[in-house]
Amino acid sequence: MPKCTINGKEIEVKEGTTIIEAMYGSGEQKGEWPAGKVAHYCWHPGLSVAGVCRLCMVQIEGNPRLQIACNTVVTEGMKINNTSDAVKDAAKWGLDFHLINHPLDCPICDQAGECGLQDQYMEFGKYNPEMAEKKVKKHKVVDLGPTVVLDSERCILCSRCVRFTEEVSKTNELGIFNRGDRSEIGTFDGKPLDNKYSMNTVDICPVGALTSKDFRFRQRVWYLKDSNTICNGCSTGCNVKVYFNREGFFRVKPVYNEQVNGYWMCDEGRDVYKFANRENRWLKAKKRTSAGWEEMQPGAAAKEAGMVAKSAGANAALVLTGQYTVEEYEAIISNFVNELKSKNVFHWMNMPEKAEDFDGLLLRGDKNPNTKGLLQILQKYGISTKWSDLTAGLASGTIKTVVVAGPEIQVQFPDMKDKIKELSKAQNLIWMQSGKNSDLEALTGNVWLIPMKSYVEKDGTFVNYAGLAQKFKKVTTVISEALTLAEAGDLLVGKMLAIKPEPNVFVEAVRPPDRVVVEHRKKNEFVYRRGTL
Amino acid sequence: METKLLTEFYHLDEFRTLPGYQKQGGYEVLKKALKMQPQQIIDEVKASGLRGRGGAGFPTGMKWGFLPKNNEPRYLLCNADEGEPGTFKDRLMMERAPHQLIEGMIISGYAVGSQKGYIYVRGEYHYPISVLRKAVEEAYAAGLLGKNILGSGINFDLDVYSGAGAYICGEETGMISSLEGLKGQPKLKPPFPAVQGYLRKPTIVNNVETLAAVVPIIKDGAAAYRKFGTEKSAGTKLFSLSGNVVRPGNYEVPLAYPLKDLIYKLGGGMKPGRKLKAVIPGGSSAPVLTAEEAEKVNLDYESIAAAGSMLGSGAVIVIDDSQCMVDMLGVLTHFYHHESCGQCTPCREGTGWLNKIVHSILEGRGRLQDIELLIKVADNMKGRTICALSDAAALPVLSFVTKFRDEFEYFVREGHSKVRGVRNAEMHH
Repeated sequence: MPKCTINGKEIEVKEGTTIIEAMYGSGEQKGEWPAGKVAHYCWHPGLSVAGVCRLCMVQIEGNPRLQIACNTVVTEGMKINNTSDAVKDAAKWGLDFHLINHPLDCPICDQAGECGLQDQYMEFGKYNPEMAEKKVKKHKVVDLGPTVVLDSERCILCSRCVRFTEEVSKTNELGIFNRGDRSEIGTFDGKPLDNKYSMNTVDICPVGALTSKDFRFRQRVWYLKDSNTICNGCSTGCNVKVYFNREGFFRVKPVYNEQVNGYWMCDEGRDVYKFANRENRWLKAKKRTSAGWEEMQPGAAAKEAGMVAKSAGANAALVLTGQYTVEEYEAIISNFVNELKSKNVFHWMNMPEKAEDFDGLLLRGDKNPNTKGLLQILQKYGISTKWSDLTAGLASGTIKTVVVAGPEIQVQFPDMKDKIKELSKAQNLIWMQSGKNSDLEALTGNVWLIPMKSYVEKDGTFVNYAGLAQKFKKVTTVISEALTLAEAGDLLVGKMLAIKPEPNVFVEAVRPPDRVVVEHRKKNEFVYRRGTL
Repeated sequence: METKLLTEFYHLDEFRTLPGYQKQGGYEVLKKALKMQPQQIIDEVKASGLRGRGGAGFPTGMKWGFLPKNNEPRYLLCNADEGEPGTFKDRLMMERAPHQLIEGMIISGYAVGSQKGYIYVRGEYHYPISVLRKAVEEAYAAGLLGKNILGSGINFDLDVYSGAGAYICGEETGMISSLEGLKGQPKLKPPFPAVQGYLRKPTIVNNVETLAAVVPIIKDGAAAYRKFGTEKSAGTKLFSLSGNVVRPGNYEVPLAYPLKDLIYKLGGGMKPGRKLKAVIPGGSSAPVLTAEEAEKVNLDYESIAAAGSMLGSGAVIVIDDSQCMVDMLGVLTHFYHHESCGQCTPCREGTGWLNKIVHSILEGRGRLQDIELLIKVADNMKGRTICALSDAAALPVLSFVTKFRDEFEYFVREGHSKVRGVRNAEMHH
């Protein structure tokens, strides 16, 4: 374990650690640059060393030449600093070299506000540009593939994206074509950047060269708040950051977690925010009457549906998908078992034949974030039902009322139509889920549709494929009247609901801690206030 | 007078064929070498003081010594990607004496324990490639290459590989990338090629002239080789003399030969009525010397380094008083801008920037601060990149601008060349 001194701070590192890794920090301090920041573009902790941006210059005592921190291994007693004038000068000029042919189109660039060039120039820049010649012209708005657009003029050729497709996705779509200052990122003809992880290239692009087709021009990043959560797209449980404002959610980016997803996430997971957005959600509960659908407050609907469920008692069945939190399963199953004395709890598994699939990187065939968690709770209550029991029960009439906790990501449930058809045979159907569904809305008979909270609107725990329980915090509220499964469970068995006032991210005033009934909750909590963003 | 250690029989056309080469004692040294121990050969080369003839002048024996001492397969690559502007010695050697190079490579391969060699030839060298390929065929047919060379139990295979016309592939790791089938870009060091080179195996890369020089060293011994040159610059070297001299060409002289003599005695001096203005002593990357500096230096590593330039590849470019230094620098910056591989930012952007500044001066749009800016940009390109191309682009700029500042200032002020006058102001378009 060699010890070195970086900017006067003694640091002990593992054998083979490079200077930049030592400076980046490890363990709890990873990414915090405990001994001072060093300018860098091409180096990325999740990729191999390219050593081409030449910004991470440091001075090593006893070495007349400046060395790059990313390719120099720390040796015992090494004395390193990056605060000397020589190093600062090298970084200043290094940044200027990056910028001389950069279009400086920040006002129309999507990366503005979170751009490596802006950030590092503020910190290390020269501030008196001397370039007076014409800039190099390159291709703009290059369609690299279904998810990513390239602006070659903005590109600083750090080669992170090329190394990503080489080393992580192993799809090798990207390369650097031509040479010198005519170099451009590109793909081979007829082989676009099209893989399941392609949007990571946008994340690691330090400038606005690679932009996401999904996100570009939709929001300026300084109008977005972000918050960490767990992706609910599959059973891997990637740690992610969601970006949102009062207009809804806009994008998802990965958050480093060594145990789960490293630095990356898949493209599929980047779409899940859409299911939480208002336009795809049920805003009100609905009850089918002879006159058609009658809109209700979700809480009232759950209470009313609860009468039906209660009267069914042991003849009520509960169908659960693996898309809710452990806490919610616990609450609703305990209510079913203890209050209704029904052990008719069924697990609706989508695509069970693919459940064990794994692409070797992150994507898993089980498209539920919490299948493991559900199975644990079912086991806890000694429930081991089969779907055929439900089918039989519906046919024989022993199951009269079915309560369904439907999926949040309906696209991952190819059997959605079939299940709706099958379950609608019950006398009473109480279907709870967050997103709209036209098949459900076409049902007749005794049907209640109750809107649920999405994964970003509640606290909870997901247990991933490996049995790792990951707790996450509520991000914000989109549909304030929607219920969590736990709340719905209480209401369904006739309990009154005591709602603890939730700390609200948008409203400063703390609501008095009185007993609030669901119906009276504040309507729209998406209040945009300047100052906080 | 030339000292023809390598080029003695270059005037004979038949010297390029196997029988012609053998008639002059060819492959006798190989027989001698195969009776020696590999370490003996390495020691002999070390003792000879032979330094790399490609440009960097790194001691050859020491380079060989960096190889790991084990039985791991290793490669011997001959760098024949002779791209340094002004240099044309390797071409002559390959055209006139391909077997000399092959013999040198077999001996070197045996010494470093390599069983496979490649000659990476500059893509534009169609004729040398065809000569080399023919010679390699002849050598295979005669049992000088392949398995069990001359019944010694030693194996050595040799291939001739044609580059595709990139200057950067003359940089040893760039060449290795290119040989591996990748884009010809230098690799990050460490690891150095001797540890991890071609196909991630230990690799030695030597210049054509270096490998050929192994033949006379083993033939007559290190001491005989050391008779020529100085303590630190031993032996003879080919110099490619070009530019405004009466008799340009390749000349083999002992190191430490006076540059003045090369120009005036061997090269026949300046053309009538012309005066020496400047000399680039070691290929276009070497800082230019003024006439006064040039007349004092000797052609060896120390003397030229003391004068602030480099012996480099031994390409001596002579510039007389009819040449405009701004024009010349325009040619050079254009070359380096064209040839930068684009990997490292300071070089990729800097070479283009320098070229644009020099050309805006040439087009009469120059500003006085541009001269200072050229120096600043070049200064900040120096020593900041993976390979030496950035330095190679920066050094001529620094030396041209500082040593011939008056010509640059005149051009900026007047909008035309001090030497050419207003005539042909649009020469560069």
